[in-house]
Amino acid sequence: MELFLMTLTTGILVGGIYALVALGWVLIYKCSGVLNLAMGELTLIGAYVTYAFYEMHIPFILAVVLTLLVGIILGFLTERIFLDKLIGEPILSVIMVTVGLSFFFKGAIEFVFGTDTRVFTPPVFALKPINVGFLKVSPVYLWSFILSIVLLIILVCFFKYTRWGLSMQATADDETAALSLGVSARFVYAAAWAIAFMSAGVGGALLGNINGINISVGYLGLLVLPAVVLGGLNSVPGAIVGGIIIGVLQNLSGTYLDRYFPGGVKQIMPFAFMAVFLLFKPYGLWGWERIERV
Amino acid sequence: MKKSILLGFLALLLSGIFVCGFSSMVVAKDIRIGGIMDTTGATSDVGKDYALGMDEAFKYFNEQGGVNGKRIKYTWFDYGYRIPEAITKYKLLKRLRSIVIMGWGTGDTEALSPTINKDKLPYVSASYSAHLTNPAKTRYNLFFSSDYSTNARAAITAWFDKKWPTKPDYGKRKPRFACCYMFASPYCSAPIKAIKDQAKMLGFEIGPDQDVSLFALDTKSQIMALKEFKPDLLWHGNTTMSVSATIRDAYALGLNSDWIVNNWGFDENLPRLAGDAAEGVMGATPCAFFGQPSKNMDIVVASAKKYNPGIPLDKRLIRTVQAWGDALITWEALKRADKAGDLSGPGIMTKGFETMRDFDIGLKASPITFTATDHRPATGCLIQEWKNGKFQPVEHVDLKKRWPEKWAKEWLGW
Amino acid sequence: MSSVWLPCGDYHQDYAEDQGWWQSRVIKGKMILVLAIMFLGIPLVAPDYWLSVATMVGYTAMGALGVQLLIGYTGLLTLGHAAFIAVGAYTSTLLVLQFPWPAFILHWGLAYPISIAVAGIVAGLWSVLFGLPCVKVKGFYLILTTMAAQFITVDFILTQYVSQIGGRGQAFSLPPGTIKVGPWAIENDFEVYYLMAVILALMVIILANLLRSKVGRAWVAIRDNDIAAEALGINIVWYKLLAFFVAGFMAGIAGAFWVSNTAALSPEHFPWFWSLWLVGVILIGGVGSIHGAIFGSIFMVVIMELLQMVAIPLADYYPKLLIDFAFIKDMAFGLAICAFLIYEPNGLAYRWWQVKNYFNLWPFSY
Repeated sequence: MELFLMTLTTGILVGGIYALVALGWVLIYKCSGVLNLAMGELTLIGAYVTYAFYEMHIPFILAVVLTLLVGIILGFLTERIFLDKLIGEPILSVIMVTVGLSFFFKGAIEFVFGTDTRVFTPPVFALKPINVGFLKVSPVYLWSFILSIVLLIILVCFFKYTRWGLSMQATADDETAALSLGVSARFVYAAAWAIAFMSAGVGGALLGNINGINISVGYLGLLVLPAVVLGGLNSVPGAIVGGIIIGVLQNLSGTYLDRYFPGGVKQIMPFAFMAVFLLFKPYGLWGWERIERV
Repeated sequence: MKKSILLGFLALLLSGIFVCGFSSMVVAKDIRIGGIMDTTGATSDVGKDYALGMDEAFKYFNEQGGVNGKRIKYTWFDYGYRIPEAITKYKLLKRLRSIVIMGWGTGDTEALSPTINKDKLPYVSASYSAHLTNPAKTRYNLFFSSDYSTNARAAITAWFDKKWPTKPDYGKRKPRFACCYMFASPYCSAPIKAIKDQAKMLGFEIGPDQDVSLFALDTKSQIMALKEFKPDLLWHGNTTMSVSATIRDAYALGLNSDWIVNNWGFDENLPRLAGDAAEGVMGATPCAFFGQPSKNMDIVVASAKKYNPGIPLDKRLIRTVQAWGDALITWEALKRADKAGDLSGPGIMTKGFETMRDFDIGLKASPITFTATDHRPATGCLIQEWKNGKFQPVEHVDLKKRWPEKWAKEWLGW
Repeated sequence: MSSVWLPCGDYHQDYAEDQGWWQSRVIKGKMILVLAIMFLGIPLVAPDYWLSVATMVGYTAMGALGVQLLIGYTGLLTLGHAAFIAVGAYTSTLLVLQFPWPAFILHWGLAYPISIAVAGIVAGLWSVLFGLPCVKVKGFYLILTTMAAQFITVDFILTQYVSQIGGRGQAFSLPPGTIKVGPWAIENDFEVYYLMAVILALMVIILANLLRSKVGRAWVAIRDNDIAAEALGINIVWYKLLAFFVAGFMAGIAGAFWVSNTAALSPEHFPWFWSLWLVGVILIGGVGSIHGAIFGSIFMVVIMELLQMVAIPLADYYPKLLIDFAFIKDMAFGLAICAFLIYEPNGLAYRWWQVKNYFNLWPFSY
């Protein structure tokens, strides 16, 4: 029982980080219709940028804030340089451009930083676990979860109460109507990418704290795809719930199913689950159904 | 406008063909050695240092007159730990007429083994897999260090001799043992059969293996699966990156067991990455750590400083020393074969490598012996541990002395 | 885009000529030249290393043809093709190494060719298995299911189960001499190249003929608008699954061929990167034509080789270039895809078509 609760807790805590990254993905899709396969590399950029700032002896929280700023700038630049020209192109082209971007970012990061694992020294969070009842919870996971929830709340409030957030929602809902009301669609696209970079970046910085940063952090970013498929491509609460479910699923399958298979279940379980799920509920839990007309 | 684009493309293509058709000038008295290294792939955390060390070694040899006056031309490529790339680079190096190849990983060395045996090209690898030590199957594969299976057997024996008697349950029950490694990697899985055989022989209770990827950052579920078994001793067969992640997770989750690590997971980076969790971790060390006082270490340090001044000396690892190990035996073999006048593949083998009896390269490595029937260079291994801020020896286990029958008859080749 | 242009004085005399593949004397001459270069010119003239580069081009083209069929002709977005190539390769290897062949088959050297055929069929069936979701989902979701296929097949089933068959050893090594086609043992680059040329030519012929038939027309109809196609009476489930089968079949043959090139096999030969590479190849070459797959392969492989040729001499001054060359390749690949998709969305085949038209219409401009 203890094992189950510990796995569940770890899953929920890690899932919080996945939810943050998934939120960025859904934003891009909602506002500009771009299916972004580069999410893993955005996470990676955030992790390494935070690491670079931290190495310069800037305190962690400040480093995260600086990462947010860098994320915003990079998001604007990416959108302007690469994606502006692709508005209206077929879906495959757009996906492949994001794939190309992901390779470019991955190559650039590896070129600059190398493939060694980098660890935050001195460690940001203590290594010894905290005891919550009879569960041992690592402080890294706990603080990451709290930070993710804080950021999620900030983002949700941004969308509901500020002008910019409302205009982004309007564009996602009906672009032409929003345009007719004076909302700049290009600004909205750029802002969507900027927020995605930001959320992925913070997600990466938090994931990097767990055991160090190396290229694997990018693969964790790929897990975002099953999360958003589960929750529904268009749905923000769906992304959050999907992220948490994927986190829990991954950890449970790793702990319980690994003994029946030679190994490696943890990595592929989210994808296998997603493939099966798609057969029954193609649009996820809260996604919008597409009605196609001939 | 279309025509100019076409012409431009054609010009580019032709100039490209011109560039690559151009072979570098061949000096008749050059000895060409090829290298296949991993500086960007899954094992690059230990591979980059090894590649730099190998490069420096050959530059030093050229300064000392090369091979009896002949210059050594060392060309190396990175293959990113992808076997198909290794095969391509091997073909390229063969085309560049290399007479010896300095290789790297277990997967590609074993995959290339039939081909190099057919081509009769001596292949000195950084893979110390015991599957490469039987000349009946792999005539042309060599390396300087004790092989992985010897390391693994020595490590578990050292723990059994020195650490198990200090535990409270000693004498009351069998000690429990399990392995963590990447199932799918040939390097990681090389010594598993041997170490389990040794464990059974010494009287351990063996638990379920755990799959830890070479790239793993989060191993909590594997550790939690192990907690039910409550092992006393755990073997880790990966490289430093994932070993440190696993040790940290074990520490964070309160799994109190001792660790023995294969030689590629045990270096100066381990305490840096794992922090407090690395206290008491034991590992197999085929040679001295970088800078540890021993014969020829001054040459290694001086070359590192001279040829790669951009990398601070405290960031260099034992991998440089391991590269020098392989390079030194190659140099010696080439010198001997050249003196006997035969620099062909079989010549380097019979008149070079296989004439070595207890050849001492210094660097705290065991003296090296190759025979026509046994390519295991050393009969035992030194096991060290990280304690109180430095590496300290635990025991040097000589397998041949303790089990001479099994060493000679049963353990060759796996 | 394929209205046949016949020069003055060249006319067809019977139905067979009218339906023929090579309709004018110019085209006949051109194709004979191409075949001569492919089968005689390159192997006899090119040095060893460039022969292996040509083999690589051929292998990429074989994989790209399958992806082109799925994406370019049937509109099924797939990002998991490397998995099916892997299935073919492993089937072929296991059959050659482990299957107890009767002596006369080994004597006649038929083991490998039979294993190629079986590999194709097995890979085709496997591909249909993972293509089943296409019945219910399309577009982005199909991409995700094929991605899942890639990870599950290569990273899980092959890595954990299949490659452990026959004892320890992730990489199966085929000792020289086991790969024989009839009386010829495929051992050096020369023979591998010929095998590649034969297989590639056969594949192109089969695919081109399929595409000209009722099946091909049904595929194109599905690509253009599958609901309308269904309304017209085309059984889209059957044709979609058939597309997956044929693409998988070709992938299986490509995988079985790959085994003869490397004589050793491990799951690392088929990473997700390779699936992306194949899709990139057809996007750069041009979606929707066989030329596109071939031009894309030639372009991508040659560019990567040229990049390496440039980097090696420079590495004496910037050693980091050589150490981190794999990363530069990644960056180059990413930039190439982005650049082509932004500036040349129709790919190289479109440019080729423009050049061809220019010469066809010369000296007139339209």
